[in-house]
Amino acid sequence: MKLHTGLVLNKVTLLILLGFCSFIVLLPIIWMIIFSFGETSKNSGLLSLIPQNISLKGYIQVFKTTPFLRWLQNSLFVAVVQTFLQVFIGFFAAYAFTRLKFPGRTILFYFVLATMVIPTQALMIPTFVTINFFNMINTFAGVIVPYIASGYAIFLLRQYFMGVPQALVDAARVDGCGELRTMWHIYFPVSLPSIGALAIILFVSHWNEYYWPLLVLTDEKIMTLPIALVRFRNEGIIEWMPTLAASTMATLPVILLFILTQKSFVEGFTSSGIKG
Amino acid sequence: MTSLKKQVSLNWLLPFLFLAPAFILYAVFFIVPVFYAGFLSFAQWNLISPNIEFIGLENYKNLFEDSIFWISLWNTCIYAVATVFPSMAIGILLAVFIEASGKSKSFFRTVFFMPVVASIAVTALVWMLLMSPNNGYINSVLKIFGIKGPNWLNDPQWAMLSIIFVGVWRTSCYNMVLYIAGLKGLDRQLFESAKIDGAGPVKSFLYITFPLLGPVNLFVLVVSLIQSFQVFTTINIMTHGGPNNATNVLVYQVWQEAFQFFDIGRSSAAAIVMFFLVLAVAIFQIHLIERNEKHSD
Repeated sequence: MKLHTGLVLNKVTLLILLGFCSFIVLLPIIWMIIFSFGETSKNSGLLSLIPQNISLKGYIQVFKTTPFLRWLQNSLFVAVVQTFLQVFIGFFAAYAFTRLKFPGRTILFYFVLATMVIPTQALMIPTFVTINFFNMINTFAGVIVPYIASGYAIFLLRQYFMGVPQALVDAARVDGCGELRTMWHIYFPVSLPSIGALAIILFVSHWNEYYWPLLVLTDEKIMTLPIALVRFRNEGIIEWMPTLAASTMATLPVILLFILTQKSFVEGFTSSGIKG
Repeated sequence: MTSLKKQVSLNWLLPFLFLAPAFILYAVFFIVPVFYAGFLSFAQWNLISPNIEFIGLENYKNLFEDSIFWISLWNTCIYAVATVFPSMAIGILLAVFIEASGKSKSFFRTVFFMPVVASIAVTALVWMLLMSPNNGYINSVLKIFGIKGPNWLNDPQWAMLSIIFVGVWRTSCYNMVLYIAGLKGLDRQLFESAKIDGAGPVKSFLYITFPLLGPVNLFVLVVSLIQSFQVFTTINIMTHGGPNNATNVLVYQVWQEAFQFFDIGRSSAAAIVMFFLVLAVAIFQIHLIERNEKHSD
């Protein structure tokens, strides 16, 4: 698409500029991957420009001393289940907010927006007490259930739904479709790419979720990756080799997922997401 | 006719059925906690003891007399403003440049979204290493140019700036995708005709692209302001709110009071203050968006 070629004075300059920016943007991630294969030497250690020795010591330490694969499984389970439930519950709520008329619609929608605004940390203590009341400490349910109703999912799904052409809906009406069938045959397929994109965004954010799991999951066997990463920082001393190795292994799956789905991700985000 | 009537009566129930699962969960895990947080802000409790003592407005009084509270409130605003606007500007420029880069477009999109995909905890750890004072990567590079780099995270003058830098680094990339989405929605013909009329690239950006992106700008502003009011992970990992509270923000204070000092009452009072602050900003922004939607109708 040559949408904004007008703005470009010179393509080569542009590519050099973008290349330079990419380098700055990617520096920490590339650095992390390279140095996860590095070895600490006494003098300059990890903090030199290039690693002194290439070694797998960090990775070996991770697999020898920790149930890393178990953590990987836990992270995957929590992220997949939470994402699915958020999209499923959000789908119905967003449909009601977009298509159906009922008293209190605006106020309830403001309420949903308000839930997005409240920082999770601010409600952490009462939520923790609630989880404790339901005996959900140290369970995956304790991590997942409090955040199934997602304002973010409802808000974005509503945005997508508002982009569904009215003509399609009218046609379905003429054909005698009720709400459920309109939802299933029109709204679901039309917004499917966007829903996929939303699911990827949600998945990645749950995969990376840190503070809530840290409070709920204290049993080593049930931990998710991000909270397990800090276990290499015991007693105030940070062991950088296993930390970087584990961080790299925790990061690569989501980066890979993103690269593979990049196209549908951005397309979904763009096709009906933000239209104003 | 009777079947139509039946459908109408069913339709009346439908929205509530659709909303029930979400709102039952909201009731248990949002509304109850909000009121409970409100209640706790009037109480004295250490999280473990079975006794919760009601002490009225005492927590608020203490909080407002505490200079650290005002420092963290100020820092929260500084961080928000200094992060949101630069990352909106960088985000929009990146989006325009990337969309103009032809075949390499999808490559650059992927590259620039990496910081958002990687977890904040991981990237905060890595930035912390890069910013190490003596032999960190950044200061080593500066040394080559004969510059002695500061102690980025431990110097009160630089600590907040370093945190803001990491925030801008991540938020710009996030905004870039939102702006690419917005650009796609614009009418191509406008640019063609502007070109025919002899409008240069800068002019067509200023007079066509930017104004047309109005609604997107608002959306990006909402999302990134709300996100930056909640900044926590980078601060918790990189500076612990220091040095000397130079990077202490409201959310961090809430956390600190609760889990380091076990003063649940004070923590809840700070949380309630933050709640109203953020809510006020959000309502103002939603109001702007609604007005915008009415305009475009």
